[in-house]
Amino acid sequence: MLWDPEALDSLDDAAIGDVLQSWASFCDCTDALLCGRGDLSAGADLVPLVAALCGYGLCSLVQDHFLHSLEELFKSNAVLKFWKHFDAFSDASKLGTTDFQENWTEEVLSKSLEEICLEKHYQEKCLLMLVHALQSYDESITDEKMKIQDYRSSLTSKYQLMVSSILLTTVPMHFPEILRSYFKEKLEELSNMMAVGHEEDGCEFQFNNNGLGQPSQRPTGVGEMDIDTCYCGSTFAKNNTLVNNIGKVVCDLRNLGFTSMTEDAYASSILLLLKDKVHDLAGDDYRTPVLGSIKDWIQAVPLQFLHALLVYLGDSPAQDDESSGLKSPLASSPSYPGIEMPSEGLVRWQLRLEYFAYETLQDLRIGKLFEIIVDYPESSPAIEDLKQCLEYTGQHSKLVDSFISSLRYRLLTAGASTNDILHQYVSTIKALRTIDPTGVFLEAVGEPIRDYLRRRKDTIKCIVTMLTDGSGGNSTGAGNSGDSLLEELNRDAENQESADYDDDTNLDDKQAWINAERWEPDPVEADTSKGSRNRRKIDILGMIVGIIGSKDQLVNEYRVMLAEKLLNKSDYDIDSEIRTLELLKIHFGEGSMQKCEIMLNDLIDSKRTNANIKASILQPPAPGSEQEETCLSLDHLDSTIISSNFWPTIQAESLNIPTAVEQLLSDYARRFHEIKTPRKLLWKKNLGTVKVRDSWGLLELQFEDRSMQFTVSPMHAVIIMQFQEQTSWTSKNLAAAIGVPIETLNKRINFWISKGVLAESVGSDSDNHIFTIVSDMVDPNKTGINNTRCEGILAMDEECERSVASVEEQLRKEMTVYEKFIVGMLTNFGSMTLDRIHNTLKMFCVAEPSYDKSLQQLQSFLSGLISEEKLEMREGLYVLKK
Amino acid sequence: MEVRNVDNASAPPPSPAPSSKQPKPPPNPVDTASVSQRLQKELMALMMSGDTGVSAFPEGENIFSWIGTIEGSKGTPYEGLSYKLSLKFPLDYPFKPPLVKFETPCFHPNIDQCGNICLDILQEMWSSAYDCRTILLSIQSLLGEPNNESPLNCYAATLWSNQEDYKKMVHKQYSSGGEALES
Repeated sequence: MLWDPEALDSLDDAAIGDVLQSWASFCDCTDALLCGRGDLSAGADLVPLVAALCGYGLCSLVQDHFLHSLEELFKSNAVLKFWKHFDAFSDASKLGTTDFQENWTEEVLSKSLEEICLEKHYQEKCLLMLVHALQSYDESITDEKMKIQDYRSSLTSKYQLMVSSILLTTVPMHFPEILRSYFKEKLEELSNMMAVGHEEDGCEFQFNNNGLGQPSQRPTGVGEMDIDTCYCGSTFAKNNTLVNNIGKVVCDLRNLGFTSMTEDAYASSILLLLKDKVHDLAGDDYRTPVLGSIKDWIQAVPLQFLHALLVYLGDSPAQDDESSGLKSPLASSPSYPGIEMPSEGLVRWQLRLEYFAYETLQDLRIGKLFEIIVDYPESSPAIEDLKQCLEYTGQHSKLVDSFISSLRYRLLTAGASTNDILHQYVSTIKALRTIDPTGVFLEAVGEPIRDYLRRRKDTIKCIVTMLTDGSGGNSTGAGNSGDSLLEELNRDAENQESADYDDDTNLDDKQAWINAERWEPDPVEADTSKGSRNRRKIDILGMIVGIIGSKDQLVNEYRVMLAEKLLNKSDYDIDSEIRTLELLKIHFGEGSMQKCEIMLNDLIDSKRTNANIKASILQPPAPGSEQEETCLSLDHLDSTIISSNFWPTIQAESLNIPTAVEQLLSDYARRFHEIKTPRKLLWKKNLGTVKVRDSWGLLELQFEDRSMQFTVSPMHAVIIMQFQEQTSWTSKNLAAAIGVPIETLNKRINFWISKGVLAESVGSDSDNHIFTIVSDMVDPNKTGINNTRCEGILAMDEECERSVASVEEQLRKEMTVYEKFIVGMLTNFGSMTLDRIHNTLKMFCVAEPSYDKSLQQLQSFLSGLISEEKLEMREGLYVLKK
Repeated sequence: MEVRNVDNASAPPPSPAPSSKQPKPPPNPVDTASVSQRLQKELMALMMSGDTGVSAFPEGENIFSWIGTIEGSKGTPYEGLSYKLSLKFPLDYPFKPPLVKFETPCFHPNIDQCGNICLDILQEMWSSAYDCRTILLSIQSLLGEPNNESPLNCYAATLWSNQEDYKKMVHKQYSSGGEALES
């Protein structure tokens, strides 16, 4: 039926005249019809005209003309009017005034949509007239039924295409925004409605008399279950009108070809609302789980809305059964309250929304992960939530990246104390252990912390303190992380026992099968260079020890601290130390803790020996001239006898002890020798504590009206004892009398000055100060002030008063030996590789301190020497710098 | 050095001290462990002594064979030169002296072309009280104070009076050895 030029050529003049006339009347008729404003009477004239024109083969021309006129008209009338409605909005949004948009979008949108749809509807009717005309012409010439359908569908689809293309090409920039704000408003309204519903539900409000007439109203006294269902029904009924309104708008929009734009708009506003909701619920509160309530909310608001919408639009399979979908909440499945049979679209929406919720929550939590971990034990609900989110989204790497960067920024700085870093590290381990039991991400996160800690000098010391100082109230102090390491030690011990048990009872086949079934592959992010076996068990102590590199260093540091602690004990109470040691033994093995055990045994031995020696006094004493005095004094003497081979190096400091005490000590030693032949006692005179009491008759001499009691080191005691014989000393003489360098004396004597016992005055020589004992009663207030002022000095004093050589000092000493050896071998061999130096040291540096460093340690030591310009590196060989 | 073996008493021509007395055979059976322990101690002492100009270190895995380094003292023709030595300790050390040889060619009245040293404490005057460090120090001082009366290298002994030429010879010999060592 195409328009055929040849057919036109073959027409004679009469026919042409007929065609022209028909065409002119067809055009008039079309205009009349289209502009008729609801008057379709002109349609009747259309039939013969169309038939005539079609008879000449001008059928397609007819259609084109008709559609074209429709387009022109639609463009000029409807579209311009339609957009004009929204001009105000663009002005408003430009001006930024929001108040007048409140219900404005809704009104305008629905009104204008109604208008344009009416117009469109009318035009569609007109189109149908044409279809009818064409159809009747066809019927007149042939019986083919097929054609009729053809006209209708092709013309309507053309028309539809035309409408939407016109609208889409003319759509103003702000229209999507209008749609979004419309849906946002509506959703908020709905959400509020739901929230009210919830509240009412929470108050057990009875819906029986709210008169909304939901069909599920039951006889009274049914119970809780019924209230739930009532609530569902009633809120739903309330929502119904709202949703219907929205549905109508959506329907109109679809009609106009805005399908995807509409969907975008409501999807984005739902997601926006969801995001707000998540932020609102989750916020900065890490102590309550929120995932559940978010899910509930998704069920309650957006899904209900979408369901209603889908049902309204007829996308749902439940469409045919409208009443059952909306009005029989009793039949609802648990997962979709109020919805009988979830349509595929709805399920897809649910998954989409939940994923979005998970992702939003996850991002929120990851952003705040540092804070969450800071108050870890309390924030475990948040961690739990995050874990679930990550299981869905699988964006663990996001967590790792973000957390590492916040660690770098907030924790691994010079300002953070090592203790804090360690505590955070422990919390991180615990928290990430929950999130990812395989420990792969923990490994990634832990690495920068470990690297950083390795560069700090006091790391080992802090770790040891954390390990050992948890003795007080570990059952209650859950918040104190210092405790938690000891706790961890405890737990580890228990685990170890049970693990041993597991190993002992041979796994039968069934158990092996169960284990095998439980196996899960490592996450893809796993670092393949590290074996997966050792990753299985996340052991906090292991990771802590991992910071240091080897347990030997840790044990060594522990030994030093233990020695310090034991030497400062005045009683022999070492129960808590024994307990800690036992725990450490379980973890680090008996062998490495052997020295520490010997130290503790020394203490126990000392207690016994001490008692024996005291007992020997009660028996007829060995011949001695000054029995009286000695006996009296021995009561006040307790000794700690140590096997110095197993103790860390003890700093020796010589001093002259007053003869009385000297005698006492040698007497003690003699008795020791009697009991423990052939062993002899060697006094470390500078260690230990002395209780200065009035019974010593020291301070009584000066202060008759007050007795003071101090617990001081022997050095301090010796100093003050010198003043017994002579009330004033110059520092030089005093130092000579005690047998210590002047610097040491000046440092130590500060203690007595600060206590107000001695006074210092500058003598003739500026270096030679004069110390005098304060004989007058010092004003107590003044002393008080003095005391506080001098606390700082005292603290400083104690700092340098360590009796045991610290690990660093030992290390430095060792390294000097190695340096000499290295220089020696390089002098003779010229140049050597790292390996060769390492092996040579291993072979020949065997005397105390023997060489026990790793290749890496040696390498860093050598690079230290290079930076000191003692060595040079040439082509991988170390040579001496000349 | 393997050629010369343990018997170093046969090699030295007339030396200042009477060389008739042979070192006595060890009175007790050789105890390798205690010998290496002693050498270990000597090494430690040497390393920690901080002497400048003398040094030695076991060569390879064998603690009985050391490499030594001696730097010429200031004010001698040997100033600024550093000589490599080899020290072979016998299994009955310290009852017998170690065999010490210059590896770097050294122009010196008491050192021959092969590097053998004529020094009384390395032969008949040896005492177990000496150790590696004292040996090295003695050799170092021998460089500056040669015993010209019983020379191994007569040319060197005669040239000693002319310090200018002597120094030239020292350097010449040293550099030839240096090339030889490097090649």
